[in-house]
Amino acid sequence: MAKNKKRVAIFSFTCDEGCSIYLIEIFNKKLMEWLEKIELAYFLSVKDKVEIKDFDISLVEGVISTAKDKKEIEKIRAESKILIAMGSCAATGQPSGQRNLFGASEAAEIKTELEANDYLPKCLSIKEAVRVDDEILGCPIDENKFIEVFEKYLI
Amino acid sequence: MHTTNLNVSINKLSKIEGHADLDIRIRDGKVEDVSLRVMENKRFFNQAVKGKPYNAVPQLVSRICGTCSIAHLTACIEAVEKTLSIRPSAQTMLMRKLTMYSLMIRDHALHLYYFVLPDIFGVDSILDLAEKEKELVHQSLHVKEAGNNLSNLIAGRAVHAPFEAVGGFSRIPDKTKFPAMIEELKSIRPYILALAEILYACDWVLIRKTDFVAIKTPDFSFLEGFIASSSGASIKEEDYWDHLHNVVLPYSQASGFEFEGHPYVVGSLARVNLNKDNLSAPTKRDMKKYLDIFPSDNIYHNNLAQAIEIMHSIDHAIEILSTAEFKEEKPAQPESLDGEGVGAIEAPRGTLYYWLGIDKGKVRYANLVIPTAQNLISMREDVRDAATKILACEKNDRSCEEKIRKEVEKIIRAYDPCMSCASHFLRVNWV
Repeated sequence: MAKNKKRVAIFSFTCDEGCSIYLIEIFNKKLMEWLEKIELAYFLSVKDKVEIKDFDISLVEGVISTAKDKKEIEKIRAESKILIAMGSCAATGQPSGQRNLFGASEAAEIKTELEANDYLPKCLSIKEAVRVDDEILGCPIDENKFIEVFEKYLI
Repeated sequence: MHTTNLNVSINKLSKIEGHADLDIRIRDGKVEDVSLRVMENKRFFNQAVKGKPYNAVPQLVSRICGTCSIAHLTACIEAVEKTLSIRPSAQTMLMRKLTMYSLMIRDHALHLYYFVLPDIFGVDSILDLAEKEKELVHQSLHVKEAGNNLSNLIAGRAVHAPFEAVGGFSRIPDKTKFPAMIEELKSIRPYILALAEILYACDWVLIRKTDFVAIKTPDFSFLEGFIASSSGASIKEEDYWDHLHNVVLPYSQASGFEFEGHPYVVGSLARVNLNKDNLSAPTKRDMKKYLDIFPSDNIYHNNLAQAIEIMHSIDHAIEILSTAEFKEEKPAQPESLDGEGVGAIEAPRGTLYYWLGIDKGKVRYANLVIPTAQNLISMREDVRDAATKILACEKNDRSCEEKIRKEVEKIIRAYDPCMSCASHFLRVNWV
């Protein structure tokens, strides 16, 4: 039984996690139906951490802002059959990549902190960091669009 | 004598808001260091708000945290309004109350059902509950959906609510939907009573003799009042900063705060301890048994206090929806475009304070005090005390580590920290 269920993982990179919070609101209506077809394999808001391995669908929110996160998204990509960029940050890099848009004086203020903490020079959208199979725009994600895109991959 | 040397590390705590790591260093049977690190990468809101038009900044800071976005939005709007002498109408204030209630219902429900119940029932996830408790999963979805629908009806959406703005709401709610909304809210009341009963029966004890601090509101609406403490303080919202002391916590990416020179606790427990007399009448009637245990020094009673606040949010929302008239009105306008001002509200996790400076309609600086930063010192002390206690009675290192791990996760979840917020304390720019 469980073997036929899609292993779904939800990851948050640099962002406000508004999309995954909103996804939990979408769950109010859809979770019971989806649980017939999916297993929530990785979702720190709901369960303890497990190894990043062998996911059918990964939903990823946020932007990539550090070298460490870049490595992690590459691993997630390698372990995911389908990877969906969830929300504006993941698809476009904004708004969470707002430091990319800073003028000279703001950029100068944060320079030391960026360098001391292994930040990338510019934030990357998930799309810029790895290949994505699909994307859902919105800040947060649009409910109907999410359902439409996500359910495509449950068949 | 104990000679235990242990490093208990939890990489990415689960079932909290945002990301945090915890390291406890034990040498010769003694807890040497507790480091709770916020593992959120910075998004530099301090710089991002500078120079932005005053009416765009609330939606920008809403993005500090998806979980408490409505709280950031509302507190920032209040700060802008205080700064520019904008006076929102009575109708706007009622709609803000409804919006805050929608947030409390959703957010407390997420914490209690998804984060706390698994600890109580000894499972990893709410989805792993045994068959006889499965009904709780359905109840959690109904409760959260009611909160979500209330957000949709009044503010347009639960996360980054589009209708709530400086001076008033951009739309008035559709009154034809009120009867169904009232029915839905009524339908979840029994679920909250069932939830409260589980939390009441839970025998966890963690006594912290501390000062509880909260904005005391006359109708328990989380919006306007004066700041009170169990030590007897009574402070105007705009003077709050003068009573706080910022403490830098090494390695944490966040600052902690002391109130009048000592650690303190904010959040549901503080609010119910200080202000339970102002809860709505139906809540007081139906939750009397639970309310009788407050004021309480047991940090785990924060969970029960959250359930009480969900009930109050339902009951007061029903009252407003049943009685208020909503009509078209124009948003209130600023009297000036310069100044500085403070907005303070009760967010789900405690007092949220915004201090803004605005020049010619553009934000010059913002200073925030967020709830999790205020609880950080107490939370660390409780983690240290719990680990010390376990060390004193456990001989075996491995079982000791396992016990510490379980216990401290439980404690941290009781405080209900929000790490997305904790990483974005904006420092004052003294210009």
